[in-house]
Amino acid sequence: MSEVSPILQNAYWIVLAPFLAGAAIILFLRQNKSLSMLASVGAVAYGFVHSLLIFNILKETGTTYLQDWDWFTSASFKLTAGLLVDNLASVMLIVVTIVSLLVQIYTHGYMREDPGYSRFYAYLSLFTGSMLGLVVSTNLFQMYLFWELVGVCSYFLIGFWFARPSAAAACLKAFVVNRVGDFGFLIGILFFLAYTLGFWQAHPAQGILMFADPTGAGVDLSGAIRWALDPGNHTNLTLGFLTVISILIFMGPMAKSAQMPLHVWLPDAMEGPTPISALIHAATMVAAGVYMVARAYPLWLNWANPAEPTTSSMGLAYVAWIGGITAFMAATIALSQFDIKRALAWSTVSQLGYMFVGLGCGAFTGGIFHLFNHAFFKAMLFLCSGAVIHALHGEQDMRQMGGLWSKMRFTAATFLIGTLSISGVPGLSGFFSKDEIIASAFEFTGPGHEVLGPLMVFTAGLTAFYMFRMFFMTFCGQYRGSGTPHGETGLTPLNVPLLVLAVPSVLSGYLGVNAQAWQDFSKGYETPFAEFVHFGAHVHAEPLNLTIMGISIAVSLTGIALAYLVYMARALNFNSTIASGLPGLYKFSLNKWYWDELYMGIVNFLLQFFRGIWHLIDQFIVDNIVNQTYKLTREAGMTMRYSENGRGQYYAMVIFACVAGISLFIFFTRP
Amino acid sequence: MTDCILTLLLLIPLLGTFVIALAPSTAARGLAIGLSGAMVFLSFVLGANFHANDTSMQFVQKMSWIQAPFPVEYHVGIDGMSLCLVILTAVVTLMAVLASQTIGQNRSRLYYAMVMLLTSSIVGVFISLDLVQFFLLYELELVPMYFLIAIWGGPNRSYAAMKFLLYTFFGGIFMLGAILFMYFQLGAAGAGVRTFDMVELARQGSMLPRSIQAICCLGFMLAFCIKLPSFPFHTWLPDAHVEAPTPISMILAGLLLKMGSYGLVRIALGFFPEQIAQWGAIIIAIGCFNVVWAAVACLVQTDMKRVIAFSSVSHMGFVLMGLGALSAAALNGAIFQMISHGVISAALFFLVGVIYDRCHTRQIGEIGGGLASMMPCAFYFWMLAALANLGLPALSGFVAEATVFYGSFTSPTAVADPGFVRAWIVFAGIGVILTAGYMLWLLKRLFYGPENPRWVGHLADMTINEKVVASVLSAAIIAMGVYPLWVTSQYAPLADRMCQDASHRNSISMR
Repeated sequence: MSEVSPILQNAYWIVLAPFLAGAAIILFLRQNKSLSMLASVGAVAYGFVHSLLIFNILKETGTTYLQDWDWFTSASFKLTAGLLVDNLASVMLIVVTIVSLLVQIYTHGYMREDPGYSRFYAYLSLFTGSMLGLVVSTNLFQMYLFWELVGVCSYFLIGFWFARPSAAAACLKAFVVNRVGDFGFLIGILFFLAYTLGFWQAHPAQGILMFADPTGAGVDLSGAIRWALDPGNHTNLTLGFLTVISILIFMGPMAKSAQMPLHVWLPDAMEGPTPISALIHAATMVAAGVYMVARAYPLWLNWANPAEPTTSSMGLAYVAWIGGITAFMAATIALSQFDIKRALAWSTVSQLGYMFVGLGCGAFTGGIFHLFNHAFFKAMLFLCSGAVIHALHGEQDMRQMGGLWSKMRFTAATFLIGTLSISGVPGLSGFFSKDEIIASAFEFTGPGHEVLGPLMVFTAGLTAFYMFRMFFMTFCGQYRGSGTPHGETGLTPLNVPLLVLAVPSVLSGYLGVNAQAWQDFSKGYETPFAEFVHFGAHVHAEPLNLTIMGISIAVSLTGIALAYLVYMARALNFNSTIASGLPGLYKFSLNKWYWDELYMGIVNFLLQFFRGIWHLIDQFIVDNIVNQTYKLTREAGMTMRYSENGRGQYYAMVIFACVAGISLFIFFTRP
Repeated sequence: MTDCILTLLLLIPLLGTFVIALAPSTAARGLAIGLSGAMVFLSFVLGANFHANDTSMQFVQKMSWIQAPFPVEYHVGIDGMSLCLVILTAVVTLMAVLASQTIGQNRSRLYYAMVMLLTSSIVGVFISLDLVQFFLLYELELVPMYFLIAIWGGPNRSYAAMKFLLYTFFGGIFMLGAILFMYFQLGAAGAGVRTFDMVELARQGSMLPRSIQAICCLGFMLAFCIKLPSFPFHTWLPDAHVEAPTPISMILAGLLLKMGSYGLVRIALGFFPEQIAQWGAIIIAIGCFNVVWAAVACLVQTDMKRVIAFSSVSHMGFVLMGLGALSAAALNGAIFQMISHGVISAALFFLVGVIYDRCHTRQIGEIGGGLASMMPCAFYFWMLAALANLGLPALSGFVAEATVFYGSFTSPTAVADPGFVRAWIVFAGIGVILTAGYMLWLLKRLFYGPENPRWVGHLADMTINEKVVASVLSAAIIAMGVYPLWVTSQYAPLADRMCQDASHRNSISMR
């Protein structure tokens, strides 16, 4: 521990560099497009190289590196911020920097003609810095801090084209919905802190709410929970209340990772430029919720036996079910969408649901592995959709597309790879991680455990169907739009990132494979990814369940086949049968289960209610009392001034009347 | 040499009042900028020579003033909290003077003289260590403020000025009553010595019988809660702000409200810690109610200046929460909120003025959105200030909110009555959502969307002068938000000690 590598000691530059680049662009470079771009890309490229070096060190030594600075101190506690680099964080660092780097290169092609080019790079840099800050957070407080910062960067970027009313509405909605989640997150932290304050106060050298303690003294979330549950410490924390806390804190991830019922902002967030949809609303920021649950995993565990917490807890069951329902719901909605970006957004919501199912069912590695794979193929899919939109001069409606395969080969091929991957076709990355999650859903022991696994398999079928629907509608058949699409002209910034991302979209899944497994499927083998990223001391090695794997492959292939028959061969037409025969069901999907209508109704009712109650209390009661007091005083003065008339006889009479009155009073009341 | 800085800080604006009034009116603005610039410089010198670890009063100057019937002294000194507020006063005043470019053209000598008099009384309040002197300066502020609203204000200015005056007088009477009552009770029951020395009173306050402490504390609390302002005494604030000209709104929100919060900490908590400990739960509840109630009010306003005015009420609720909690973290946060809100609200009112100067309306509906493309610079400054106001991390508003929430939720007050206090704090948490809602909704209705044809070609972006003001305030917001320690370290030992005293004394009196 004495020899800490300078690569780790200077890791904070990964976070700092994008912030400095962003500030430099805003303050000095914004007039110069190339310098803005170079500063932004340079910062993140540096971050990527540094992240790889860190990964290399951690792979060798397996150490956890923690560095903390005081941010706020008081006699009660101190708040700190710093960086925690462990295996989980280093994987995320690589994901964020590589996707951000590729998206920034792509941006150069996509936004070249936009007057806000430099501003866009400034926001991108600020976002990248905030996201990296979130990844290396040492404690829950710091995570909340960067959590809000990535949220505000997302707000800037969704509302990037601020003159569009739809973008203006979408960015407001995104921030406010996220604030609803943050409310729960904040209250959860407060309750947790209230029960564990004594523990943190006993270790004044560290900050509060720490995630990890490399010194081995156990000053981390697990230690705090263990301390609070110890009856000797009189905190009165019960297991039931710990579940309540974990559910409250989970409101944060629900909003950030767009889980039902706080998912409504993500599809609207597609109003932002497409590079943003790829970076923020597909690969990185929306996965922050998943990352947070993984980072603060002890909060969700079952601590009935404090020495050895298990994953069969109500808190995790809640996570799994929210994820499962969201995955299913979003998939049903994606079936009927026509906007290419929104359909992809719904698929993101659905895939995030899968990650939560993984974490909730105890497949810590599986959930993170899916996050890892999804980041690559979903970013690629979004960038493909951006290339298509760019080629069609801003057209996003898939009904106006079709037949683009011949015009843009690179884009179409990479989109196909992404589609195959997300659909769970064996051999591509999405298959491996999704299979781990589905397998874990069948091992789920919480309430409703019979349903969750089959639901996930069925949703996988839906996923394959709607993804291939998108692929066929966009790239196959006849071109249905009006203008002429301008096709690809060799390798450009718009398709090189796609090709680069295609590599991990195919191969990253093999990190979750151990070749030895071919010899005996009934035994569990440690895979390279699981060895590196796991919760607790033990690597979780799960034997393959070939039955489930076979069923899910079959279901996915059925989905693909159905999509082919409906949208390519036109042999089946149950889509129009459902749309005309069961209009209720179709509209329910098309209108996204009517969540927006419900929420707008609530918001309008609340505004109406607020207006009424504010007028009643502030204006009618409080201000009226004030004004009436003023008027009364004034009127009294106006009346009384007639008594001040300066005539001696009048004063004498008043004095006489008073004396007479007092005398009479005394005379009659005297006993 | 440094000993007389405080006196200089008090005298510069006071003498400046007369100098400006007598000088030619063309020189008035230059003089005002020079004088407030000198104050900023002196306040920085003060900060540089300040010893943060020493929680006693520093730079003390004392002189006997009146002997009979009461011994009144000229007595000034500062500790960490007053230091921050003095620097805030100097900076915000300079910014307000700079922002007075248009409004100050009308009767400029009188205007700038009044601003200087106002500044003098505000600085005086923050550095006074004699209670009578404190009271005089506290009330003196009403005179210039009344005229500044009543002469340079909007159409309904006389109503607003009168309302402001009466409200504050109403509170002042209670404070005067409390001061005198306390003076005569001291020494009456064999408790302590009669004095107006605030340092001495902080030691002797708890020697008084509890019932007398309660009456005095209530009198002070009432006065300061009107100034803060707190529900149900807040209705003067929106009226005063809407009618006041932009620079005066900056001072009103940035500095005048801080006199109330300063009084609450220095006097109500400083003199009567046991009372505050006893009423802590109620004070937190009132604070939480303020946070949410004013945020609700913000959502239904149609006048952008009223939105910002009500948001001040909402944010000052955090000061009450921090005060009632009596935990070191929460009190630190509450003091930070005074300074942070001073800067943020000054920035916001200034930016409201920037739009008002160009559009000549404050009605959000009439402005109709789309200003972003016409006034990009104003848009970015607005965005920053709005985000600071809604408590975005890395900007100063967040520090106070987070620490008050964390501190009050885990405070001794919350531990003593967990159900009641924590329910109220959770309720206040709703304010986090509402604040984001009304600030961003306001931003959307002003700046986002297509250009309103009414304004096309009529609006110019910010001038250099305006950019300077906005940049200074924004830089302060960012600096305090990114690294709050350089502010909190000035007063943290003081706040820690006050809370320790309070809980210590309370535990003694509970036995």
